[in-house]
Amino acid sequence: MKIWRRHVLVPSLLLTLTSPSFGQDVESRLKTLEDTTKAQQQKIEDQQHLIDELKSSPLGEASAPGGAETAARPTPGESGQAAVPAQEGTAAKLTGIFGGSAMTNPYISLIVNTFFYGSNLNQQELDSRTVPGFTNVPVGVNKGFNLESAELFIFAPVDPYLNLYANIPVTESGTELEEAYFVTSSLPAGLQVKGGKFKSGFGRINGQHPHAWDFVDIPLNYRAMVGQEGWVDTGVQLTYLPSLPVYTQFGMEVLQGKNDLLFNPDGTTPYAFTAFVKSSLDFGENSTLLFGPSFATGKARITTVADGTFFSGTTDLYGFELVYKWKPSRTKSVVFQSEYLYRRQNGDLTDFSSSTTNPLKRIQDGIYVQALYQRERWRFGVRYDVLDLFKKEILLAGVQQDFGNRAWRATGALEFNSTEFSRFRLQYNRDDSAGNGQINNELFFQVLLGIGAHAAHSF
Amino acid sequence: MRKTAILLIALLLSATPAIAKFKVVATLPWIGSVANEIGKEQVEVATLVKPNQDPHMVDARPSMILATRKADILMYNGLDLEIGYLPVLIESSRNPNIQPGKPGNFDGSHFVTVLEKPVSVDRSMGDVHPLGNPHYHYSPRNILAVAEGMANALSTIDLPHAGIYKANLATFREKVRAKQKEWSALPTKGRRFVAYHRLFEYLAADFGFTITAYVEPKPGIPPSAGYIERLIETIRGSRPDGILTTPIHGRKEVDFLAEKTGVRGIILPHDVGAAPGAKDWFAFMDQTLSALVK
Repeated sequence: MKIWRRHVLVPSLLLTLTSPSFGQDVESRLKTLEDTTKAQQQKIEDQQHLIDELKSSPLGEASAPGGAETAARPTPGESGQAAVPAQEGTAAKLTGIFGGSAMTNPYISLIVNTFFYGSNLNQQELDSRTVPGFTNVPVGVNKGFNLESAELFIFAPVDPYLNLYANIPVTESGTELEEAYFVTSSLPAGLQVKGGKFKSGFGRINGQHPHAWDFVDIPLNYRAMVGQEGWVDTGVQLTYLPSLPVYTQFGMEVLQGKNDLLFNPDGTTPYAFTAFVKSSLDFGENSTLLFGPSFATGKARITTVADGTFFSGTTDLYGFELVYKWKPSRTKSVVFQSEYLYRRQNGDLTDFSSSTTNPLKRIQDGIYVQALYQRERWRFGVRYDVLDLFKKEILLAGVQQDFGNRAWRATGALEFNSTEFSRFRLQYNRDDSAGNGQINNELFFQVLLGIGAHAAHSF
Repeated sequence: MRKTAILLIALLLSATPAIAKFKVVATLPWIGSVANEIGKEQVEVATLVKPNQDPHMVDARPSMILATRKADILMYNGLDLEIGYLPVLIESSRNPNIQPGKPGNFDGSHFVTVLEKPVSVDRSMGDVHPLGNPHYHYSPRNILAVAEGMANALSTIDLPHAGIYKANLATFREKVRAKQKEWSALPTKGRRFVAYHRLFEYLAADFGFTITAYVEPKPGIPPSAGYIERLIETIRGSRPDGILTTPIHGRKEVDFLAEKTGVRGIILPHDVGAAPGAKDWFAFMDQTLSALVK
């Protein structure tokens, strides 16, 4: 069967190829093809003519009222170069707030924060090291290698009215929902509402993510009075940016009051309130000044005054921030920054060991001052922290308490930023904040790496 | 009484646009310059980025947020060139007019034939722009297309002055065409250059020269000493017509290469006002092209 088929197929194929009828067929096909090409050429010429005509009338009909839907046409140059291919439907092109991606997924980025830590103290000394009179919470770093976190950021517009942000740091001890909030984009009159779980707008450092800090650790006044991770809380924020000649933003928040050092550890006694103002001035093309006061108040139910105690009362926290940035070129900048905090707590302290309750009044303050100098991909920073600057009033049952010497810390850091997405930082702290004169000489080597969507940076 | 009040309010509202100029906020100096050509006395242009700044690395200053807050239209380069600060400005401005999708959100790159759009990209390749090369402001034919887009956008939002924008566009187009004739007469065709950063691809495409090598091993990554050594060999071998850079990108490296190889280092302005005396886009292009063929 098979053999027969092959024998018949081959000769018949040969016959087809050599037969005169096949030649005629090719000729006629070529002719048809030629005709088609000619027709198409004519068509192209006609269309070109039409395009030229349209071009010679400036803007076409697009400038007529309501005619903006007409696609804009790029005009080819007359300098003898190839014409720009006409673009269709350019008016329908849109750019999203976070860029031009056509992805249906939200924007995702991951930032890994890891560091090596060395100290002249042993681990036991570190684990019991607090800021007496302010907080009984130790820093909680290990000598050696530390994986601070891998922070997952997810963001996208929800709809034309809201943008949604979430920050999910994954640490060795698990996953948490650090932040999840919406921000309005289209309210009138310069108003904006933020809602959900977010970093309070109180102060400057508090609103920044740890990876955006200028040093590995939070300033000492924040560590002593707000907490070493700052104040992240659930609630609502309203900000107002009036149309003034000078940038001035007004903000207020109603929050659950979840904070170990200020209000309460689990948000059971709402609410805490904040109010803040941030103003900014430019000096010439290269210098910017940002400054403003902040205020927070709420009920306090905390156990961080000292071990084995419970404090019930009120907290008022005042702050003032000042930032001065000088950036004369892409390769050089100087940033000076300082924040002053003043905290007043008034209430009753219960000591569980003696089962006594006495009135406690604490009025304390602290400041940090830092300067950073950037040159090319290098950045050098210095910082000085001090507590009990102007006020050191800790009255337990009317009696001033003594917690040793004034707490201070001096820091120096050197950074190499190989790209926008990687940072290597060497930092030294001389820390005398334990009240007993015991110095902690700390050395950090930190690596910060970011992948994924390019998040924008605020000032 | 009520009618009078309504009438009064209506009168006030309708009177406002006649007094106040139409507020354009442009991110880059060249965008501000073209907006001024199209808007002329109808618009008040505020430019956010200063000519001495690198458009890739801009901090969102609060004053920029304030300017954006007051804008009737925001005009930007697009192709993610402003990705480091523009999202913050748009959101913090609290300005409904300029939100994405609104006619007051004008992305110039929508009217451009984009070059070097990568098929696949990751950051091991350096700071590659994933949407394509964003530096199209060196291209007269693309600028013409952007200007048309601008005139359309302005006419849409500021209807009463649509006729003026149309007339201004016609004037601008004539001026560009006249200039194009002048510029294309310059002997740029067939020349070969080495460039510091991928800034001049549109210029090369419009004026018929080629860029044979880059001083940056990867976009945004400064060259190492070893890379410079190899580049010296390459330049000595191929003898290009010049090594191109801008006042703010790799001056040191280009000066060094020029000295070692004897090939001329050419400083081209990266934007309007980057070199003294360029007050508008035409002067900027004049400076660019005359430096190129000097």
